[in-house]
Amino acid sequence: MEFRTAKKFYDNLAKGKIYGIRCRKCKKYTFPPLLRCRECSSESVEWVVMKGTGKLHYYSSTMLPAIKFVGEPPSAYGLVEMSEGPVFLTKINNADISSPDSIAKGNKALPLPVKARVRKIAGMDIVTFDIKK
Amino acid sequence: MVQKASIVGVGCTKFGSVLTDPELKGLTFQEMVAEAAFEAMDDAGITPDEIDAFYVGNMLAHTSQVYSHATLLSDWLGLRFKGGFHFDTACSTTNTGIGIASNSIGSGKYKNVLVVGGEILSSVPENYNQLTRKGIDAQTLWGWTDFGVDHVYAYHHSYDVASAYGAIPTMGYMKKYGLSFEQMDETMYYVNKAVRMHASLNPKAMIRQDLEALARSKGYKDSYEFWKSKHNPFFAWPTRLLSALNTADGASAYVISGEPKKYDKKTPVEVKGFHWTTSNYPWYGTDSTTMPQDVIAFREAYKMAGIQPKDIDYLYVHDCMQIHQLEVSEIAGYFPKGQSWKAFIEGRTTYKGDKPLNTSGGRHGVGHAFEASAGSETYHIVKQMRGEAGKVQFSTKPKIAVQHNHGYGMHTAVTVLERGD
Ligand SMILES: [Zn+2]
Repeated sequence: MEFRTAKKFYDNLAKGKIYGIRCRKCKKYTFPPLLRCRECSSESVEWVVMKGTGKLHYYSSTMLPAIKFVGEPPSAYGLVEMSEGPVFLTKINNADISSPDSIAKGNKALPLPVKARVRKIAGMDIVTFDIKK
Repeated sequence: MVQKASIVGVGCTKFGSVLTDPELKGLTFQEMVAEAAFEAMDDAGITPDEIDAFYVGNMLAHTSQVYSHATLLSDWLGLRFKGGFHFDTACSTTNTGIGIASNSIGSGKYKNVLVVGGEILSSVPENYNQLTRKGIDAQTLWGWTDFGVDHVYAYHHSYDVASAYGAIPTMGYMKKYGLSFEQMDETMYYVNKAVRMHASLNPKAMIRQDLEALARSKGYKDSYEFWKSKHNPFFAWPTRLLSALNTADGASAYVISGEPKKYDKKTPVEVKGFHWTTSNYPWYGTDSTTMPQDVIAFREAYKMAGIQPKDIDYLYVHDCMQIHQLEVSEIAGYFPKGQSWKAFIEGRTTYKGDKPLNTSGGRHGVGHAFEASAGSETYHIVKQMRGEAGKVQFSTKPKIAVQHNHGYGMHTAVTVLERGD
């Protein structure tokens, strides 16, 4: 087994490729990649490039960002159901967080389709999503 | 035959700040833990030489400046040469400790086990000296605390705990059960009103002002107007700041015994069942109202105890964000799904109500001292069962109580307790 899962994931993000794993046993996807299937624990998994599409179900934004993100502009954080199945929470680039009312209004319109975009945030390449307009 | 285990003594310090609270000021971590431990031993009528082992919970070594806690605490507690270790499931730790101690007794190895938890979140030692402390800001504190969440993937992906543990579960509840924002906001007002009312009646709580007194202090006659005012902004919409925890310093302890008849100074409380589950991030799927690790933990703890939800007289759930008072009490089966919000508005969850919940003040009212807090909740449950809960004592002492806690990351501990008389 190759144990350097996180390194492979982040190295590929830098090249614009978003990897997950697919279980050969239960056929379910795990994202981000782990050493075993998150659903059935099988180690018989294969690396697959994720479509980068999905649905945004919820988003909000904290008044007290985690210390890593203190230098970043205020950010929307949302729950995305990826097309392959896994739920992933991350930065939503173009969700309106300008006021509580705009967050309320923005959430009323959900779920909406989203598209993944790799961005460098606080010094690391991460998977973010844009709401498709 | 597995030896049954019972809680025979409980102890708890005042929760507050070691910088400002007269009850805590000037105490080292070791002394603060000892205060809770000695109260528990006195309460049980047990002496240190009768304690076989002791287990210690503490999360932030940055502030306590302690590793290998049992070693460093042994002689402070009068337990030199006894067995002991540090254990950690974050904010559920001193709930988890009930099961660990019960297992030690059940195996026949030990007769009496002391479990203690201590946490200091207000401040760090200066010059490595615990006697000179300086306050820390919230972001520094949460920088350390967030080691409790996945730092391979989740944290770097714009991690936002207020949304993940507060806002998104709240929006999930609104959506699933068709509540408007106004209905949800009003519900959360009633939840916090009960939280602060209970805290104001609890001499060990950090928060001593009920919501009405707090509103008056800011110039509001109507506490609901105050709730909706600029003084209570959105931590992460739709979750307001007053629906979140308040960090605190404090310590709690209990003695668990396989010989409750020998330590019968107070009514013993039997450990009927427990279960623990773990899950890394994310904690839920598209249904953000329900963490599957909670469902499993309740089911298995009930099975071990041989109880059903209808048997529960008193429930204490983890309310680091108060939305979980609604969601977890429903998962526990204490309320039907989608119905608990009405119970808060109708006042059914207070110490006078028919469905009492978290009646010491929870993580907002008592204050959240991570690995000491679950023990303070156990302390309160035991006091309710004995009829020693002071101003918040129920008219009928509960026979069966269930305690639920989340530990950051997410750990779930559920323990079923039964009054032993
Ligand atoms: Zn699988």
